[in-house]
Amino acid sequence: MINTDDLIDSLATDMRPVKRLRPPLLRACCWLLGAGAVVALLAVNQGIRPDLAQRLHDTPFVASLVGSILTGILAVIAAFLVSLPDRSRLWILLPMPALVLWLSNIGYQCLTDWVSIGPDGMSPGEAARCFTTLAATSLPLSLALLVMLRYAARLRPIIVALTGSLAVSAITSTALALFHTIDASAMILMWNVGTAVLLVGTAGLFGRRMFRWVAPRVFAQD
Amino acid sequence: MSSDQNGLTPRLRLVSAGNQTRAEVRPGQRALDWAILMAHAQEGDRVAYQRLLQEITPYLRSLASRRCNDRSDIEDAVQDVLLTIHSIRHTYDPTRPFAPWLVTIANRRLIDRIRRQVRQRGREVALAPEHEIAAEPETGAEAAPGRRELERAIGSLPPAQQQAVRLLKLKELSLKEASVATGMSTTSLKVNMHRALKSLQKLLIPRNEP
Repeated sequence: MINTDDLIDSLATDMRPVKRLRPPLLRACCWLLGAGAVVALLAVNQGIRPDLAQRLHDTPFVASLVGSILTGILAVIAAFLVSLPDRSRLWILLPMPALVLWLSNIGYQCLTDWVSIGPDGMSPGEAARCFTTLAATSLPLSLALLVMLRYAARLRPIIVALTGSLAVSAITSTALALFHTIDASAMILMWNVGTAVLLVGTAGLFGRRMFRWVAPRVFAQD
Repeated sequence: MSSDQNGLTPRLRLVSAGNQTRAEVRPGQRALDWAILMAHAQEGDRVAYQRLLQEITPYLRSLASRRCNDRSDIEDAVQDVLLTIHSIRHTYDPTRPFAPWLVTIANRRLIDRIRRQVRQRGREVALAPEHEIAAEPETGAEAAPGRRELERAIGSLPPAQQQAVRLLKLKELSLKEASVATGMSTTSLKVNMHRALKSLQKLLIPRNEP
C-alpha cells in the first residue's frame, strides 16, 4: 500500500486545471434541447400521427401527454441535481407529482375507455414502428445522459440512473404518443408503462455497471 | 429544498492540531479556507491543492475510523476518498459550502467500501487447521520444484521485467522505493511489472491446467 502522504504528493504533482461543471439546471436544459431535437427529427422522419389534432381535444390524452412531458423535464433536472455530492437526495421526489399525473391518466384511459385488442389491434407492422421510435429516441438520449452524468459513478450511480432513465422513458413515451396511433388501451399501457419499466428496470440492474463503463479509468478500480 | 448534508456541517471537527495556531481556527473558518483552496486547485494551483489534501486527510481519517477498525483499512479508505475527490474535483461549485460536498463523498465511499467488504466476506471461508498443509515440512519440499520453475521463468524475462518482479513482488518494495533503487520511473516499473506478470502467466499456467 502506498503511503498517504506520497499519494497526496503524486496527486498534487499530476494535477491539472479542471473546468467546473456548469449549473445543473443549465445542463438539464441542454439535454432537453437535445431531446427536443431528436423528437423533431423523428417527427420529420416518421410524421405526426394523423389524428393528433382530434386527440388534443381529449382531456385524458392531453393530461397524460402533459404528464409525460413534465415527468421528462423534472426527472432530468432531478438526475442532474442528485448527481452532485452537495445536493440533497430528496430531489428524486421532484418528478413524482408529474409521474402521478401521467400514470393516473393512463390508468384512467384504460379504465374508462377499454378497447380490447382484436386480431387487428396488434399489427406487427405498427408494433415494429413503435419499437423503432422507442429505440431511436431512448438510445441516443440515454447515451447522452450517461456521458453527461459519468462523474456520478462513484457517488450515487443507482438513483442517478433511475431518475435519468425515468426522464428518457417519459420523453420516449411522449414521442410514441405523438407519432403512433395506439388507441387500444392495452397498447397505450404496454408502450408507456412498458417503456418506463424497461428503461428504469435496466437502469436499476445495470446502472452502476453502465456508469463504470463510461467513467474515467480511475473509477474502474473497485 | 435544502441539502440533507447541511446538518453535518457543524460536526466538522479539528483533528489535525499540527500546530497551535491552526487548532484555534473555528471549524466554519476552516471549511471556508478549504473552499478557497479547492477553488484555487480547480484553476491549477498545485500548492493550494496539496495543502487542501493534507488538511482534509486527518478529518477523513477521523470519519473513516468511525466505520473501520483496522488501521491499514482506515488508510485504504482515506486514500480511496482522496482519489475520488481528485477524480471529481470539477463537480465542486465554489459558491456552495465545501463541507457537505466533502462529507457526502467521504460517506458514500466509506459505505460502498463496507458493502464490498461484507460481500467479500460472504464469499470467503474461514481457514481451519486442516487447511494449513503448506506449513508441513514434506509439502514444503514438494513446493521446491515449483519454486525452481518460477525462478527459471523469472530468469527468462527481459532484465527490466526481472528487476520489477524481484523488487516489487519478491522483496515487496513500494513503487517509490523500487523507483529510487533502480532509477526507473514508477510508470515504467508498473508497465514492466504488468508485462512480466503476463509473460509469467503464459509460461506457468498452461502446464498446470487440466
